[in-house]
Amino acid sequence: MAPLLQSSQPWVEKYRPRQVKDVAHQDEVVRVLTNTLETANCPHMLFYGPPGTGKTTTALAIAHELYGPELYKSRVLELNASDDRGINVVRTKIKNFAAVAVGTQRHGNYPCPPYKIIILDEADSMTEDAQNALRRTMETYSKVTRFFFICNYISRIIEPLASRCAKFRFKPLTDEIMNDRIAYICSAEGLDLDPEALSTLSSISQGDLRRAITYLQGAARLFGSSILSTDLVTVSGVIPEEVVQALYSTCKSGNFELAEKEVSNVIAEGYPVSQIISQLFDLIVGLDDVSDEQKARIFKKMGEADKCLIDGADEYLQLLDVASNAMRALCNMPLEFPSEF
Amino acid sequence: MLWVDKYRPRSLDKVIVHQDVAQNLKKLVSEQDCPHLLFYGPSGAGKKTLIMALLRQMFGASVEKVKVENKNWKVDAGSRTLDLELTTLSSTHHVELNPSDAGFQDRYIVQEIIKEMAKNRPIDTKGKKGFKVLVLNEVDKLSREAQHSLRRTMEKYSASCRLILCCNSSSKVTEAVRSRCLNVRINAPKEEEIVDVLEFIGRKEGLQLPSGFAARIAEKSNRSLRRAILSFETCRVQQYPFTNNQLIPAMDWEVYVLEIASDIMKEQSPKRLFQVRGKVYELLSNCIPPEIILKRLLFELLKKLDSELKHEVCHWAAYYEHRMRLGQKAIFHIEAFVAKFMSIYKGFLISTFG
Amino acid sequence: MGKRSKPIVVVSSSDDDDDDFQPQRRNHTFKSSAQSSFSVPPPRRSKKQQRLSNSCSKSRTDSNPFDQVKLFCEGFDDGFTGFHILADKRNQKKELWVDKYRPQSLEELAVHKKKVEEVRKWFEERLNRAKQENYNHALLITGQTGIGKSETVRVIASHLGAILCEWKTPTPTIWQEHVHNSGSGIRYTSKLDEFENFVERVRKYGLIPSSDRKGSQKTHILLIDDLPVISGKVSYERLRSCLHLLVQSIHIPTAIIVTDCGQSDSADYSMRCWEELQLSIQSAGGCKVAFNPVTVNSIKKTLSRICREEHKTVTAEQNDLIAKASGGDIRHAILSLQYFCLKPNPMLSLSLSDGTPTYSEERSKMYDGNSLPFGRDETLSLFHALGKFLHNKRAPQNSVVSDKDTFCLKEQFIRLPLNMDAPEKVLCQAHGQAKTVTDFLHENVLDFINEEAINDAWTVSSYLSDADTLLASLNGLLLRNYEASNIVQSAAASVAARGVLFGNTHPLSSRWHAVRRPKMWQVEKSMWHKKREMVSQRSVPCNGMNLTDFSVITTEWRPSLKWLGFEESHSEDVHRVTKDGSMVQDDGYDDPMCIDEQTTQTTDDEIEDW
Repeated sequence: MAPLLQSSQPWVEKYRPRQVKDVAHQDEVVRVLTNTLETANCPHMLFYGPPGTGKTTTALAIAHELYGPELYKSRVLELNASDDRGINVVRTKIKNFAAVAVGTQRHGNYPCPPYKIIILDEADSMTEDAQNALRRTMETYSKVTRFFFICNYISRIIEPLASRCAKFRFKPLTDEIMNDRIAYICSAEGLDLDPEALSTLSSISQGDLRRAITYLQGAARLFGSSILSTDLVTVSGVIPEEVVQALYSTCKSGNFELAEKEVSNVIAEGYPVSQIISQLFDLIVGLDDVSDEQKARIFKKMGEADKCLIDGADEYLQLLDVASNAMRALCNMPLEFPSEF
Repeated sequence: MLWVDKYRPRSLDKVIVHQDVAQNLKKLVSEQDCPHLLFYGPSGAGKKTLIMALLRQMFGASVEKVKVENKNWKVDAGSRTLDLELTTLSSTHHVELNPSDAGFQDRYIVQEIIKEMAKNRPIDTKGKKGFKVLVLNEVDKLSREAQHSLRRTMEKYSASCRLILCCNSSSKVTEAVRSRCLNVRINAPKEEEIVDVLEFIGRKEGLQLPSGFAARIAEKSNRSLRRAILSFETCRVQQYPFTNNQLIPAMDWEVYVLEIASDIMKEQSPKRLFQVRGKVYELLSNCIPPEIILKRLLFELLKKLDSELKHEVCHWAAYYEHRMRLGQKAIFHIEAFVAKFMSIYKGFLISTFG
Repeated sequence: MGKRSKPIVVVSSSDDDDDDFQPQRRNHTFKSSAQSSFSVPPPRRSKKQQRLSNSCSKSRTDSNPFDQVKLFCEGFDDGFTGFHILADKRNQKKELWVDKYRPQSLEELAVHKKKVEEVRKWFEERLNRAKQENYNHALLITGQTGIGKSETVRVIASHLGAILCEWKTPTPTIWQEHVHNSGSGIRYTSKLDEFENFVERVRKYGLIPSSDRKGSQKTHILLIDDLPVISGKVSYERLRSCLHLLVQSIHIPTAIIVTDCGQSDSADYSMRCWEELQLSIQSAGGCKVAFNPVTVNSIKKTLSRICREEHKTVTAEQNDLIAKASGGDIRHAILSLQYFCLKPNPMLSLSLSDGTPTYSEERSKMYDGNSLPFGRDETLSLFHALGKFLHNKRAPQNSVVSDKDTFCLKEQFIRLPLNMDAPEKVLCQAHGQAKTVTDFLHENVLDFINEEAINDAWTVSSYLSDADTLLASLNGLLLRNYEASNIVQSAAASVAARGVLFGNTHPLSSRWHAVRRPKMWQVEKSMWHKKREMVSQRSVPCNGMNLTDFSVITTEWRPSLKWLGFEESHSEDVHRVTKDGSMVQDDGYDDPMCIDEQTTQTTDDEIEDW
């Protein structure tokens, strides 16, 4: 990879924990893994959990601690979703890497166990065929190779693979843990973050530390060293609460023209519609004066709209449809259209 | 030269709308390093203007010396080589292109161009290797694969080039790409801001603006600054001195859609549907994008409708627009929408008036 | 798997070899004899002129080797590149009637008189005035297959007393042939290369060889019928520039014949290429004559003439059927006739003289489904199928037996049973492509819906929209999975057909609706043209139009530019919204004649009460 200028190196990389014991908040995982490290004997592993909780960090840290910088290159193969990972890659690249046997000579202080590690990041985006092909590879080369699978959704890993691995669940980070980390980075980078901004940051990043750090860096670049909570909102692309609230209240009002106007306003402001739908969802979920049935009606439409948006449908029309449905649900208008059969 | 181009602000200091964004951008590039950027916002909000001003801020006036090239790319795509043709706009410091023009092959284009740019990096006076900027328009229209490959190339060549992406809706850009860029939202200017700009142009041109005239244009512009300036200029051509009740010319296709809408309201029958089809064909063969036709038609129809029907009409518009994206032949879906509308409206008329 | 299949291929291909090499061997003997009479030297390029002259002179002096030449050229000849003098000689036996009854005079041509006259005049003008005059010497003749384009040129040439030279290339078309050729040391040159070389030579030296004594007094006409196939942009570009050059610089009257292979799929890339080629030939100064399909009447006339001469008794009705089925392709009509007369007893299959009742019965039998042995292509039976769907014939109300056992449908979903085979079966018999069927149904269905029933119109159009969505999902599949795409295709066609049948609850009872050709194809084509033009304009950096969003250009820039009178000359026709709702017919790409002719053709096949 091309060398990066110091300033343009993402803070996510810069502040990535280098050792397993530094990984924030995943105590249980860390305890088991440190044990593993001491004996230098590790099974295949499967890390799963929401994004930004330290899965990749942990995997990299283990690899580094096992081999040290010198052997790292030759012993560890990293593949993530941006690489082509069709069945052919599994058949050739992974197999070729796995097939070469390695010795046990020690380098420096590192344990250097006699096997290699293949880290498959974002494994849930692999095709089923590729996963099936992997299964044989894992068995054949289990003496010389360990696989680390990293994924968000364990359900997308086929059962035969999952059953061959030791599974570790990564919990979403709590606010305190995240705030600690953010505060640490702030002090290291010389940033001034007031408490309000800090809490905004943890709420908009929703337990995803990587996202929080990325936002922080973006805000720091745009607005300099003293960062306000509005700056963070701007950078994150999160839609200000007022906008969502305004849309909701027009829906509540039962006046179609108002809703239409508000929808065109949202579009003109350039807010991404998928984002506003998900924030509207968050808003409505938490409301007490909306009945479950009403909620269900609204959310059903939201789901459909989201799918349509992914298919490339027009944002304005979809949002208008969601708003109209929400309005009909909230004002208890009939569910079915009169002319439908 | 059109006023839109004539009065396009050339530098970040001179912009009238989005001053805050401009100042932030200025701060950003003054630090000698600029992350990848993603500009998003509705059309006519000023994204391209800001991007050009930003480039000028970074590299000076030389970015304005652009040449247009119709380049042929030979791309090695595994088993075969592809021949792709694409128009690029380039100066010594930047290249601008619409990768989605390449259609299915868009992913190869992106990779190939970035690779080539990385190869011949400009060297600045101190002998340090500088970087080039690649401006990609309409990223939201890129295929998923192309966006995916974009993400990898962004990492791989981040030392040699910076990307400025430009799109209308950021939700059609994958999270992976978005998270690697600094996202800059450019909202459509408010009507008051548009009025400011129009008055500024009016002053520069030495025109007498009756009060409220600019506001009327702004109101009709649907918050698109480009649209407003264009219709301002057409007004000027049409009639000057301006009078307060002067008609602001609509785009011809909009007039045509209005006609279609009133046709639909007048009669609901298969025969009328057939006539409407002919008119829609007319619009389509003039390359008006089908989704824009549908949206405009909905807009016109909603204006004339009782509010109880609006929900349903809206629903079907959204439904058929989605269908249109999935399908190939827009006319099928537009027609289905019109037919549905006719059927709803006729039912409504019968139930109200018997 | 790959390893195992190989030997099998070898075995089977060796069988083929025997068949294929048979004629080839014969050709070689021919070749040697031909080489004695015509000089066909291995370094072909250099002596082409001479060879031409030889063949020209020989062809007129003795007619006997002439048939050889013909055979020789039509077979697998591999050594002979260049011109081929059209035979003007009838073999008495065992010949296809198509060849046997080639028109000999202008009167015999089945092509419309006006067109023939037009072409004749054109040639006459060119031939009479001497070469020094600054005339353009290229004529472009277009039209569908088998309507006598080449024949017209040939007959006119002989009428005017000119010698017709035709460019033909025998590049190998079969793999074995190619292998054989390269084995015998002949370098492979693509047809396009050959054509380029040919054009180069003709431009430089002209056709008329100096050594030809008689030929110098006679005039020549060059016929280019067999244009190389183009695949992809590069070869297209080469062919285009090549033709352009030829048209601009040639001094011999030249007829270039381009066959329109059906205008069915406007989205097809190669179709567009051909269209553009035609345009470019025209822009280079070539004159264009578009031939219409031969009318049913003149086909009938020709057929009955042939019958007379062959002493076959074929009734007028049968002739009529054959002529109609041919879709304006006279060659096909004659072939059908010959095939029809081959049958042991043609009279048995159609007993017409017995009186009308049997006739109509017979006739309906003949029309039914796929029984026509001589339909030219799917069109007729496609129309047939479309007619069935559109007319939506159902069993009468009272004949319905209400089965109480079957599950109950809501009132609004109940339809009377169909009075036809299952729609899928009809579709299958009609060989209709799902896309074509859907487009045709969409174009025509509204005519068949009751004026009051807008609800039906919606149901139908929503089903068509479903069908389109299905068809579109094909795009991704097409490359990968042939089988799946087939299924999707038939599903889409079935949805379209059944949707039309189901949705149209009260079909109009009136008959005699003409089935129109989908206007959408035309719209798509013109859209594509305009888009291309705009994209190319976009690269001009003036007016700030560079690289802006395409939709912005069409919806904002163009209209306001028009208002401002900024219009450039060529953008004038791009944006013309006519208020009367009629289609803009831009002569540049939509030859109005073609459209008319298409509609007349289709109205010929009016949907009757099947």
